[in-house]
Parts: sequence; C-alpha cells; structure tokens
Amino acid sequence: MDASSIDFLVAALRIATPLLFAALGGILSERAGVFAVGLEGMMLAGAFGATVATFLTGHAAFGFLASIVAGACLAAMIAIVTVRFQAEQMVTGLAANILAIGLTSFLLRSFVGRGQAPVIQVALLPAWPVPGLADLPWIGPLLFQQPPLTYLALLLTVPIYLMLMRTQPGLLLRAVGENPIAAFAIGAQPLRVRALAVIACGAITGLGGAVLALQQIGTFSDGMTYGRGYIALAAIIVGRWMPFGTLVACLVFGAAEALYLRVQAIGLPISSYVVQMLPYLIALAVLAGLGRSARLPAAIGVAYDPKG
Amino acid sequence: MRDIVKWFDDVRANAGISLDVGRGQIVGLLGENGSGKSTLMKILFGMIPPDGGGIIFKGRELCEHTPGDAIAAGIGMIHQHFMLVDAMTVAENVMLGWRAAGRWLRRGAVGHALRETSARYGLDLDPDAEVGRLPLGRRQRVEILKAILRGADLFVLDEPTSNLSPPEVSALLEVMRRLRTEGKSIIFISHKLHEVLEICDDIVVLRDGKAVGRMPAAAATKAELARLMVGRDVSEPFQRAERPPGPAMLALANIRLPAGEGSVGLHDINLSVASGEVLALAGVDGNGQAELAETIAGMRRPSGGRILIDGVDATRCGVAERVAAGLAYIPADRSQMSLVQAMTVAENLVLRDVRSPPYAHRGWLNRAAQISRAGGLIREFDIRAPGTGAAAQKLSGGNQQKIVVAREVGRAPRVLVALQATWGLDPVATRFVLDRVLELRAYGAAVLYISSELEEVLAIGDRIGVLFAGRLAGVLPRAEATAARIGLLMAGGAEPSPGMAA
Amino acid sequence: MTTAAEGARLQLPALMQRVALTQESLIRAALAVAAALVCTAVLIALSGKDPVIAYLALFSGAFGSIDRVAFALNKATPYLLAGIGIALCFRAKIINIGGEGQIAIGGLGATWAALALPVAHPTAAIALALAAAMAGGALWAGVATIIHLSRRVHEVLVTLLLNFIALLIIGEALHGSLGEVGAGFPQSPLLPATAWLPKLWPRTPLHIGFAIAVVAAVGAYVLLWRTTFGFAIRVAGASRPAALYAGLSVPSITITVMLLAGALAGLAGGVEVLGVHYRLIEGFSYGFGFNAVAIALLGALQPLALIPAALFLGFLEAGALAMQRQVGVPSSLVAVIEGLTMLFILAAMASAERKPQ
Repeated sequence: MDASSIDFLVAALRIATPLLFAALGGILSERAGVFAVGLEGMMLAGAFGATVATFLTGHAAFGFLASIVAGACLAAMIAIVTVRFQAEQMVTGLAANILAIGLTSFLLRSFVGRGQAPVIQVALLPAWPVPGLADLPWIGPLLFQQPPLTYLALLLTVPIYLMLMRTQPGLLLRAVGENPIAAFAIGAQPLRVRALAVIACGAITGLGGAVLALQQIGTFSDGMTYGRGYIALAAIIVGRWMPFGTLVACLVFGAAEALYLRVQAIGLPISSYVVQMLPYLIALAVLAGLGRSARLPAAIGVAYDPKG
Repeated sequence: MRDIVKWFDDVRANAGISLDVGRGQIVGLLGENGSGKSTLMKILFGMIPPDGGGIIFKGRELCEHTPGDAIAAGIGMIHQHFMLVDAMTVAENVMLGWRAAGRWLRRGAVGHALRETSARYGLDLDPDAEVGRLPLGRRQRVEILKAILRGADLFVLDEPTSNLSPPEVSALLEVMRRLRTEGKSIIFISHKLHEVLEICDDIVVLRDGKAVGRMPAAAATKAELARLMVGRDVSEPFQRAERPPGPAMLALANIRLPAGEGSVGLHDINLSVASGEVLALAGVDGNGQAELAETIAGMRRPSGGRILIDGVDATRCGVAERVAAGLAYIPADRSQMSLVQAMTVAENLVLRDVRSPPYAHRGWLNRAAQISRAGGLIREFDIRAPGTGAAAQKLSGGNQQKIVVAREVGRAPRVLVALQATWGLDPVATRFVLDRVLELRAYGAAVLYISSELEEVLAIGDRIGVLFAGRLAGVLPRAEATAARIGLLMAGGAEPSPGMAA
Repeated sequence: MTTAAEGARLQLPALMQRVALTQESLIRAALAVAAALVCTAVLIALSGKDPVIAYLALFSGAFGSIDRVAFALNKATPYLLAGIGIALCFRAKIINIGGEGQIAIGGLGATWAALALPVAHPTAAIALALAAAMAGGALWAGVATIIHLSRRVHEVLVTLLLNFIALLIIGEALHGSLGEVGAGFPQSPLLPATAWLPKLWPRTPLHIGFAIAVVAAVGAYVLLWRTTFGFAIRVAGASRPAALYAGLSVPSITITVMLLAGALAGLAGGVEVLGVHYRLIEGFSYGFGFNAVAIALLGALQPLALIPAALFLGFLEAGALAMQRQVGVPSSLVAVIEGLTMLFILAAMASAERKPQ
C-alpha cells in the first residue's frame, strides 16, 4: 500500500470519528424508541461546549466534559418534549437543531464580545501514538497514531454493544423500543427508560462535537456540523441499529467523503460536487435497497401513553 | 393442602363474582364477550383495582398490587394478546425483567434452564429462535415458559386458543395437563365449549358480570353450558312484517381470505341475502366478523371467490364503486373508521358521498347541499348535536352512531352490512339502530347484520347464522334458531347439517 | 414482524390531529411565542445587555421605515410559500422536510429558464421562469415520494437526504454551465431584466412575490376547505382507516400533496431568485426549508394563519439585523426564538391532545 492510500484511509477514519460518536449515541435513543433527529444539534452543542471550555481552562479534558454536558442538556430538552409531553419526535428534533444553531451562535458572539471577530482558537489535540504499535508498517499510522478521541470512539463501540446485547438494562432498553407495553407488563417504566436513553445519546453525541472542534478544526464556527448529524442517522440505519454495523457504515461514509479529497489530489475529471454527494447517495441507495426489510425498532416514534 | 384463590368482589354495582381455585386444578371460565372474564383477570393480575371484595392467594391477601407483585406472588398471566417482543429471541424474552437472569445476562445458564423446562412440559422451544418468526402456538408457549420459570403456581390463560389451529390446540391442552400433574393450578378462560369440557375439572359460567353457575366438567353438558352462557330466550318486541323474500341482493361465493397475524381469515364463505331479508350472523368477536364485513365493503381483497351485488359481479370494485352500487356499511369502530372524530357532524354525514353530486361538482364542495342534507338527516334520525358544525367527537356515543346509521341508511341502499352496530350503546340507542335496520328491511333492502350480541341477532334475523373460526357454521331459519342451538354453534359445537347456505 | 400492542391504546403522536383554527390553537401559538421571547430576554440579560432596549431595537428595525417593512415582507415570502405546502403535507400526515432542497431546485429551474430560454415579453418571461421553478420543486418532491412509496423509506429520511444532494447539485451547476465566469463567488450571471419580478411597492425592495404568496395561501385555504381533494387530505390526515372506509386512495393523495408542496417550495425558490437577487447564488436558500416547517407549526397548519406566522418570522429576522447593528445582540437570536417557539408549541399541542375530552 502506498503512502497516499494510507493517507486516504487515515482521512476516512478521521472523518468518520465524529459520525461514530453521534451514531453510537443515536443507537441508544432509537433503540429505546425515540427518533434521533436531534443528533445534529447535540453535536453542535458539544462542539461549542468543547471549544469554550478548552479555551477558558486550557485543558482539553474540561472540553470533553463540557461537550458531554452540553449535548446532554440539549437532549434533555428533547426528552422533555417528546417523552414527557409525547410530542411528534421528528419535528421536535428539527426544532432542537434550529435552537442549537441559534443558541451556539448567539453564545459565541456574546462570549467573544462586541466588535471582535467571533473566533475562539484552541490548539488541536495532537496524536497519541501507541508505543510499540505505532511503528508497525501500514496499520501503525492508520490505527495507532490517532488523537485520543478517535481511540475512544472506536473503543466505545464495544461497551455499547455489550450493554445493549448482553445486559439486563440493555435488554430493557430494547424492549421499550420494540414493545413498551410488554416492558410495562414486567414492571419497567418505559417513559423513564426513554428519557434516560435520549440524554445518554446527547452525552455521547456531544463528544462527537468535541472531536470536530478539538481534533479537526480548532475553533467553533456557526453550524460547523453541517449535516453530519443527519449522516449519522443514515449510518445508524445502514448499520441496522447495531454498533459494529454502524462503525462500518461510518467508515464507509468517511471514505466516501475522503474520496473527494483524493479525487482532487489525483485530478480526476469528476466534479467535486458530485463526489461530495456520494455519502448521501450511498445512504439513499442503501435505505432504498433495505426498503421493507429495514427493521426499525417496532415502537419507534410511537408515543407510549401510560394511562392508555 | 390447598392453594386457594378465593375471590369475592363487586366489579359492577350489581355484580359479584366468587371464584375458588384449588391446587392442581384446572378451572374453566366460560362466557361471551362482555361477560366480565377479562376484567376479572385484570383485577387478579393487578392491572385494575376491584371496586369491592378481595383476593386471597396461597393464604395471603392480595390487594392494591401491581403486575410485578402478582408475578412475584406466583401468578402467571398468559394474555390473549401476547406481551412479547417479536424482534428478540425466546431466551431474551424470558430474561426480560427476570432477576434470576442476572445483570450480565447469563445466557448459558438461562438457555440450559429453558431447554430443561421446555422438555419437562413438552413445550418444544428453542432458546435462540426469534419470537417474531414463531407460529402463534409457539409464541404462546413462550409466555407459558416465562410464567413457569418465574415460579408461577397459578396460570391464567385468557382465550388461549382463539388464534390456534386444531393441532396447536391439542398441543396446548397437553401442556396444560402436564402443568396440572406438576401441581400447578390453571384458570382457563374461553368461550369454546368443547375445549373447556375436555380439559377442565370445574367450570364456572359468567354472564353479564355475574357467575351464573359452577359445576364439575364431568357433570356438564354442552347444551346446559350454552344455555347458561346466553341466558333465556329473548322476547320479541319488534314489529316485523312477514313477507316472502325477493331476489338475492348480496351473494358471496367461495370467499376466502388467508389467515394472518391476529386474524383467522375466511374459509369458503357462501351466503346470499335476499331483498327484504335480514341475515343475522352471531358469533364471538374474533371469529372473522370484521374480515367478512370489510371484504364485502371493499376494504379487503379476498384471495378467492366472488361477490355479487344485485347480480352484478363486484369483486373487483373498490369501496367507492360499491357505495355507488348501493352497498352501505356500518363498521364497528367509531373512533377510527366510520367517523372522523375531528370533523364536523355535517362532514361526517356525507363522508362517503362527498365526492359525488350534489355534494360536490367537479371537485368543488357544495357546502350548502351538505349542510341541508345534514339538517335533514339530523331531523329524520333525531341526532342530538350542538349544530352541524360541531365536531363529531363532542357527541355522545349513541349520537355518534346515529350519524353513521343516518349516513348509511339515509342513502336508501340496496344492501346494508352492519358490524357490531350497537357496540357501546345504551338500550335506547340500541333500539334505535335495530328499528332502522328493520325499516330498511321493510323498504326492500338486503341486510347482513353481524353482531356478538345474541339477543339482537335472534330478534331481527329472518335467517340466523353463526361465524366461527372464519367459517359460516350453519344458517338456520328464524323459527328453528333457538338460543341453545345458536349458542352451541357459537361455541364451536356441530350442527347436524352444517353450512346450510340458502 | 412487530408485536402490535393491540390490547392497549398506543397512539401516534398527535401533531396532525384536530389542528383547527380554534381559539385554542391561536392562544397556544401566542403563548408559545411569548414564552420564547421571555426565555430569550433572560438570555440577553445574561449576556450583559438590556433586553428591553434590545427588543425595542428589534421592533424599530422591523417596522421603522417603509424599506424595513418591505425587507421583512420579502423575507417572509419564501417561508410563506414553502410553508403552505408543508402545512398541506402535515395535514395529510406526511412529514415532508425537503423544503431546503425543493426550494433550491426551484431556484435552479427559474435561473435555467431565464438564461436558456430568453423571452422578450416580461410577463411571459416571468411566467416561464416561475413555471420552471415550480416544475423543478415538484420534480424534486416527486423523487422523494417515489422512493418513499415504492421502497417504504421513511419520508423524513428521504426528504432530508435529498436536501443535501440538491444543494450540491446547485453547487455543481454554478461551477459549471450556469456559473458566471470570473466571479469570485459561485453565482450565475445576472438574469435578463425581463425576468425580474416587478415591485409591489415602487422604490422599495418589495416585489410581487409577497402578493403571490398571499394568493397561494388563500388558494390553499380554499383547496383545503372547499374542494373534494382538500376533504380527502383532511380525512387521510385524521385517520388512515377512515380514509380507506371513505373510498380514498392514500398513495394517490400522498403523491398529489407532495407534488403540490414541491411546486410551492420551488416557487419560493424562483421568487427569491427573480425578485431579490436576480441571479442564482450558492446558499441563497439556506435554512428556508426548516423555517417553513416552523411557520407551518406556528400557524397550526391553517393556510390563512400561516400569513401572520410568516410575517412574524420575517419581521423578526429583519428586526434582528438592526438589533445586532445597534445594540450588539447577535441576530442568531432569531433561531433561538424560533427553536424555542417550536418546542413550546409542540409540547402544548401534544398535551392538548392528551387531555381527556
């Protein structure tokens, strides 16, 4: 494998990392029966929190924490409206995204102060090479010379899978998303489970925003997530709501976007715009291909009325 | 030593039910829709509180308990509509909410226990099978397995055989025998006489929220049970003119609908209804009534057979065309189907006709025509509404149904299909509906009246038949249709000459 | 393959049910807006500015002069047009959030028609361009509907993904055949003046697009309440079983409503291109689609109520720019107010549904 291919794969992984956080968080929410349309806003909130906190304290660790809290806060708002009030989930997610865009933009400017350019610069997180493994040919630079949040994203796949499929709480979460009445019949509280799942989703997705801010761009700008939250939604479906499948889907989307850079480098006569369409086209194609067999959690989007 | 469930309570003001179940006993609870069976069991299981009385289970009193408490005490409820997660495996469904399975699910240990128990009780279940792919009979056994593993001593089976095929039913009865051998008690709720007679030790019959009889199965006969279930023969206060029936207005030939999830389907339905005749079909809900009505109305497509309206083949026609051909339909569901609750009275009164003149002309609604029609129907049928512009949901149940009846009958149809048309109505409103049906009959229409209220069926049918498990289980002329015979057919008993289609 | 919870009443979220222009829904909308404004005032105060002064600046920025009012009405126009279509979709229980893409493609259509098919007569030129805009939007909505109906993909996902693809198509066009050579910014050449929308109020920016939008709102009202098709939409949106019982075809209703909504959104894009910018600019319609959804909700899905709802947002945006200039409160506050309003309305609508009658 030549150097530019490695570069391509590294780029793919880099692009996929924020998607992966958002998708993993989204799986929790959707498996519990709440559409995760608000991923975009949660990621943006996380990016904002990460930037501001890191700037204020000088330590990225606080940035991580802040991104988790920020994402969780936005998710809490969504949880109140959709779980407590049982409003329509899709449109609530949209509203939350609009709110997040406005709120982060507003807070940024308030924070920076009048007259100054609304830019906060933070240092990018350096790569943390894993001693020994980082020197391996090919997979060394690919897997073991990444910044810390990338490792976290990849590793997070495992506990989330285990939790969902191998523990009682995970079983319960899945049951609430498939048939909340059955869950109630064995003594669970579906509404509480859903609310917690949504908030957990926000926390994890917020970290995806931290990735964007602290590992890739180094600053916060308005609407910087630019649709990644929606791609993550598609990744969840392509990955069939399973962590490892979603990991693969995120890598595929990352590769599709990295292709754009590669094509530019090579100078192929394909328009860059067309290449940028790839992730979305792939998502559509897979969704259309899955069609009838795309098995959403059965009770997703359906309000559970405890008095019903 | 006896495990006793003793129960005395007042579910409704003038009803009280006492029930005793001993250890290692199977007690059958027999009754029609609305007799109080399901309510009783919901109280037992802690889903709704009783208005009076109490429950003593294994020597301890159960009060204000939740389903969780009931399960912990040792009551296992096998619901009629399964509380299973289709997308999960048998093992996962069993483990759901089961403390013994551990926080970190001990799949190996659970799988082992599953196989063992399954073998012991003849359940034949594979822990790794996906529940959604299992046939209904197997799914039910997952529910039973769950109850066994949680240490239930009393099993309550609520209409367990309504969706099972005969071999699955035999298998279930076998499982029940094994449970009894192991010392478990069972309450078997059903409306099917032969099953209850076959498996139960004692039988309790419920009617209108009261227990009207208890006897050992050995001493019971089908006829007596049927009589207890449906009550005395009803008197006949209706005006009916006897007239020779005219030509056949509605005819079904070999209508078939495949059985599916939660549906028994339709199997070779042959019937015909003549002009000026009421063919009334009795039967406990869930035996194919909705399927039959909707197929005739054009809302479901049969997989085989033909439907003729006044001699013309209407099998390929859609709903609107059948309305135009003179077919009226009163569905059972007022909340979602026959009325749009959010729309006004006037709009609902023209719901099915709104696209034809005079209510619309080339796509434009003629409000004036709609309102005048609505006004006319309101007067004629005495619908109590705040105004034509009031939302339908503001009216009482009886008046809502009047809207439906007014709309369908007011069209002077040639054929009327009515499904559970008096459901949820008080006696006055019920009488109203029945009078209108008879009026239509006098006018010359053919009426197919489907109801689970036997009294009504006996009161207005010129010929009376029974729907059972998706088949027409016998059609008798009025004079021969006694409550006992019909009750028997409703519960699955056989007539000497089944399938008499005129 | 799902376990239907037949024994209990699981109810679909009640966004679309029983949304009538009752006093209730108007009060709800007003309360939601008020609550959002209060929350935002708190935010402003926390950021160190005086909310009263800020809101005054907002108000004067919106209504201060004829030009300002014209600016606000122009802003409201595309939201109103696209919002009408979305409201019709929501009425039929179809969640179409492809406004972004449909508007953009509409703008593209208008631009292409104006450049590729020049016509001397202004009325004809405008009519042609707007027709192309409507066709473009309808086409884009049609693609989404076909995928949704034939492959059973959820309409939200399909319309959402197509938004991104549409924006990229615009970018591609502007870098290629439709782009202006030598411009530093992706935009089309200036459109021929015959295709420019005339002004509604002379010597102001206000173009006839607003009048078109109002006419469309009235038309939608008439459609919804006076035609058989509107009746069909309302029945299908209230209850699918009732639609079946009433002899209606839900797929056919879906297609027609979506095409109509796409045409309206396309018209919004065309009007924006022909009336404000006179050329196609990349990103000209960012956020329009989502704002249209907000409008539709705020107006309780009633076409006529969408007019004040769109005006509200238009004036808000116009005023916010002034507020930013004068008081230093960022104009992104508009999105905050919008988002909060939507959340409050959604919660209020849903809890009104659950109240026992």
